[in-house]
Amino acid sequence: MSLKQRLVPYWLLGPGLLWLVVFFIVPMYFMGELALRSGSLTSGGFVFSWEWANFPDSLSGHGDQILRSFFYAGTATVLALLIAYPLAYAIAFRAGRFKLLLLFAVIAPFFTTYLVRTIAWKTILSDDSPIVSVLQTLTLVPQDGRVLATSGAVIAGLTYNFLPFMILPLYANLERLDLSLVEAAKDLYSSSRQAFLKVTLPLTMPGIVAGVLLTFIPAFGDYINAQLLGGTQQAMIGNVIQSLYLNQRDYPEAAALSFLMMALILAVVVLYIRFAGTGAFMGDEDEETAR
Amino acid sequence: MDTGGTRARGAVLAIASAVALVALILGLAACGDDTVGGGSSEKVTTAKGGPVSGELTISNWPGYIDPGPKGTVAEFEGKTGVSVDYIEDINSNDGFFGKLQPQLEQGESGGRSIFVVADYMAKQMYDLGYLQEIDHADLPTVFKTLAPSLESPGFDPERKFSVPWQGGMTGIWVDTSKAPEIRSVNDLFDPKYRGKVTMLEELRETPALVMLAEGVDPATASDEEWLKAIDRIKAAAESGQIRDFTGNEYTEDLTAGNIVAAIGWSGDASLIENKNAEWRMPTEGCTQWSENMVIPVGAPNTPAALAWMDFVYRPEVAVDITEYVEYISPVQGVKELLEKRGSPLAESEIVFPTEEFTSKCTGQNTPPDLERVNEAWQDVLTG
Repeated sequence: MSLKQRLVPYWLLGPGLLWLVVFFIVPMYFMGELALRSGSLTSGGFVFSWEWANFPDSLSGHGDQILRSFFYAGTATVLALLIAYPLAYAIAFRAGRFKLLLLFAVIAPFFTTYLVRTIAWKTILSDDSPIVSVLQTLTLVPQDGRVLATSGAVIAGLTYNFLPFMILPLYANLERLDLSLVEAAKDLYSSSRQAFLKVTLPLTMPGIVAGVLLTFIPAFGDYINAQLLGGTQQAMIGNVIQSLYLNQRDYPEAAALSFLMMALILAVVVLYIRFAGTGAFMGDEDEETAR
Repeated sequence: MDTGGTRARGAVLAIASAVALVALILGLAACGDDTVGGGSSEKVTTAKGGPVSGELTISNWPGYIDPGPKGTVAEFEGKTGVSVDYIEDINSNDGFFGKLQPQLEQGESGGRSIFVVADYMAKQMYDLGYLQEIDHADLPTVFKTLAPSLESPGFDPERKFSVPWQGGMTGIWVDTSKAPEIRSVNDLFDPKYRGKVTMLEELRETPALVMLAEGVDPATASDEEWLKAIDRIKAAAESGQIRDFTGNEYTEDLTAGNIVAAIGWSGDASLIENKNAEWRMPTEGCTQWSENMVIPVGAPNTPAALAWMDFVYRPEVAVDITEYVEYISPVQGVKELLEKRGSPLAESEIVFPTEEFTSKCTGQNTPPDLERVNEAWQDVLTG
């Protein structure tokens, strides 16, 4: 192999690497540096002083919000998976000539910004709205109860907003599924259920893993849904970081908390990938083996 | 092979230059001012007056002017030829300051030439060097028609950097069809209204009103008294009594019928589409405040900004603003003009509060240990 050929991979890596360095490593450096400062914004500013205490300080009193973020984002991810899998399956195999139309319908909400869509839910779920009265009639919501400004509204908002991120990787994965394998399973006397569990589901693991990551990670850090659809006692960790930055202007503690949350998410993702299996995460491997 | 070698060297060169670029960025950043925050080191400048033209960007709170084609902004554009970008992007003093602070620190105002902020915030910005001073000679109308009581406030005795925009009171908005009996801030804690009450996010409003309701004067309250009031609010938030803490959003909740009462601002009628909504002076008193137009550092087109300030102080313009927003005008002669127009607002105690009406009210007070009390307050907001 000539030198030129050996350098090709580096050439191809270049733009991505540069992107990562400029928009990830450099900001991380500044944030890390900020997290180790001390002082106050209004008197003298923040001065670098290796203030490691910012890290434990930033966590104190925010345990509730961290647990709540896990609970909200986790529930939203599970709900999104339960909604998205059958939908993606139907689009891939049962939609026929409506396939493109349905895919378009999945993506269509993106034509309106995230913020506006979430604000729209405020109106849809307001206490006197028809939807809430129907839910009250069905006794899904107590007579004097409400939907807006509850944990349920926040979870619903997260599920709604991140659902396409679950559907699209699942669809991409299901669409490439070789149906003759399912047929073969049935030929070998497996029931539909067995065929699904032993063939379809394992083969679509890469899509599930990708979808779960794409949904859970942004949902965990989200603060818009909690702010607009939630009430008191429903703040997520993103709201705390926002408050530290904008309202308390404690930049070092906010940076420290952001760092810790990134580390936490990274740890969770690493565990998850180990659990879900690297093969599934890397994509085609299983499929290739199966073939 | 020869050309391949050249290209390979090119590749190495490209990667090396990319690394060098990154090192340069890091190096440049490291060479800059090493302190984050602490105020601008530049000297205080005075906003330049002069011929008026071009574009002007104004940041204000929602519902503070008629931004429509027949409103005050359009009138100013017609009279001066200045093209105004009027943005309603201020929802809370602290939130707005937090958003703009990094830019202001760099001597930038994000293209804005005028902000409207509360007294304490104007002072805080000025002390950090984020505001320009104003030459009274550029504002002849302002200093002719400004109400005498506003000429020399404690935070800016010579009106060096602030010009009042509107004043108001913080009290209780009540949906009279659903909870006509609410008159005191203590009533908001009545379990009857569980989940049907909102309160403002502002430290200087909500805990202060709760203190007033308990007979404590916020002007002289100790940190412990502030924290006690905050604890009471916290307990109400945890029990579900308080539905949410809001900025201007409480007006939407009142419109949609989500709540029966809210702590809110006296002049927000234009934002509330609910004919049963009524602002009430709490029985134990309100907080009174005024908000100011200020010119930030780095503001483009300061001549137009000064022209705007002077324009809104013409009584015939100020009366339009009052009719639309229903806040307390700092301009003399508005009441007479309203009477001439036969507007019921001329008799309104909310627009022209008498001393008797506001006898129990207090200003916007800051707790002795702001950082500690604010942290406790923010913990309640993000509970």
